[in-house]
Amino acid sequence: MKRITEINEKGNSEQSIEDSELYLNKIYEPNLRKLLSKCYQCVRCSGVCQLSKVQSFIPSVIIQRILEGSEDKVISSGVLWDCLTCNSCLQNCPEDINFADIVRNAKYKMKNYYKQNPEEFVAHKGIYTTISEILSEPYIQPNKNLDWVPKECKISDKGDILYFVGCIPYFKFEFQEVDPIPISSLKILCQIENRPIVVLKDEVCCGHDLYWGLGNFEAFIKLAKKNYELFEKSGVSTIITSCAEGYRTFKVEYPKLFEDFDKKFEVKHIIEYIYEKLKQGKIELKAPDEGDINIQFTYHDPCRLSRFLPKSNNLLEKLREIFNLLEGLGYSFKEMTHNKENALCCGVSSWMNCNTRSKALRYSRLLEAKEAGTTLVTSCPKCIMHLSCLQKDYDDVFSIEIKDFSEFMVNLIYVIDSKNNGEVKS
Amino acid sequence: MTKAVSKVEKEDFEPYILVFCCNWCSYAGADLAGVSRFQYPPNVRIIRVMCSGRVDPAFVLKALKNRADGVLISGCHIGDCHYISGNEYTRDRFERLYNIIIKQLGVNEKRVKLEWVSASEGKRFAEVITEFTNEIKELGPLRK
Ligand code: SF4
Ligand code: SF4
Ligand code: SF4
Ligand code: FES
Repeated sequence: MKRITEINEKGNSEQSIEDSELYLNKIYEPNLRKLLSKCYQCVRCSGVCQLSKVQSFIPSVIIQRILEGSEDKVISSGVLWDCLTCNSCLQNCPEDINFADIVRNAKYKMKNYYKQNPEEFVAHKGIYTTISEILSEPYIQPNKNLDWVPKECKISDKGDILYFVGCIPYFKFEFQEVDPIPISSLKILCQIENRPIVVLKDEVCCGHDLYWGLGNFEAFIKLAKKNYELFEKSGVSTIITSCAEGYRTFKVEYPKLFEDFDKKFEVKHIIEYIYEKLKQGKIELKAPDEGDINIQFTYHDPCRLSRFLPKSNNLLEKLREIFNLLEGLGYSFKEMTHNKENALCCGVSSWMNCNTRSKALRYSRLLEAKEAGTTLVTSCPKCIMHLSCLQKDYDDVFSIEIKDFSEFMVNLIYVIDSKNNGEVKS
Repeated sequence: MTKAVSKVEKEDFEPYILVFCCNWCSYAGADLAGVSRFQYPPNVRIIRVMCSGRVDPAFVLKALKNRADGVLISGCHIGDCHYISGNEYTRDRFERLYNIIIKQLGVNEKRVKLEWVSASEGKRFAEVITEFTNEIKELGPLRK
């Protein structure tokens, strides 16, 4: 409390520096040892580490070295840039040690105090992370193209339900695979809501990649503030997104920065939204047509929706319930060998480290998918991009059809006429 | 005298402009402009690349992020590229950069430009630079 009065007395520029420090303290913990102190070296993390399957990387040894006081060496070696931040280790740690989060904090140190340049680890020469960084600047006001909005959908810049599109309009630069995601999601929302949905022309990136990948917390905070203001300005109370990373960032990280974020805005993934509408009897699922009967589909759980959500969040259970209903109608759904919290990584997290090792990870994921079905459904635009990128190189996994959840669901949803009072129409 | 002062005030803003020149045409064109003593504004910093095709769109974005007010990419005329088709790739890539990224970022489209300048066009090089610098001056700094 004392701090706030202090800030008020200071000049404008100093105030903003203090202000950003205030925010930084909420998401940055410089004392790594404090975060690791409970580790008792059971080495489970190293056993499950996904990265360790393709290169030598032993989290428990890294932890031990930090605890023994060689933090400086570990950090200056730059080895932590390699971690996928996939959270498989946390999932299995008896002491709940969040290694990925420690890596995140360490990245901030490596970048700012050890002057290491993360650019060399960023895929696509950093074009997408640079876009996020540019978007964070106060003098930039994006002007997103809204031509993709389907004709039958009404959008507006004020209202109570916002569809957060995310960075897909920029991914279009190299990826066409992700085009259908916003189109299908918005179609679903418009069909069900039957009123204009808020889609913002000046929407900015959620900042996920700067937060987890590059250790650029300053830009992340700037983006978060921009988003907060935009959401407030448009008067929305519900934010719906089809992006795994955006969802998690809004749900878990933004409330750390802004205490009232979750009171003001309810963040929902489109999975949750569809689930609720099914439960409320507002929508029904369609039985398959003749042609669809043989479609075997499987689901790739994005890490941000499985291992990265608080245990109380049962998003993936809800998803499985939707799939159960689909199965009841005659579609066939099959889990991959590794699913839910144990799902394998898509290989490239936050645009970091796209290399032969990540290729091996992606390849094993697609082999599992091939075993389970002909269509792979997932809910993360990045997973779609990285996995379909590999398909271009390997013929044996080329046949798998990779689809986003909304894209998959858009034609399977049937809106029940409100005049019918929710009665099932045959 | 007073006239000169007001002119200085008007053009107070000195933009940072980054220019990528391919080694075989545009850089030689820049050289020729120098040798022939054609004047052009000193706001530009030239980076020589072997071919305009070497310029990754990420370079342009990074320049904009790191204080550049304008970025110019310059290569051989279509058909003249030392590597046969390097500049055709540049042209296609640039179009996408322009339409998909620059426009949607809300950065004024005039700040990023593609121009073909051959080794014999020293005069044109100076003109292109002068024109571009004036355009950027008109727009003012990117960082407000
Ligand atoms: S699993 Fe947890 S307790 Fe065990 S070694 Fe790894 S971090 Fe330490
Ligand atoms: S986050 Fe993933 S890659 Fe990093 S140490 Fe844990 S299991 Fe290994
Ligand atoms: S896997 Fe493909 S799409 Fe993903 S970062 Fe690497 S090259 Fe890009
Ligand atoms: S060498 Fe000049 S554009 Fe390719």
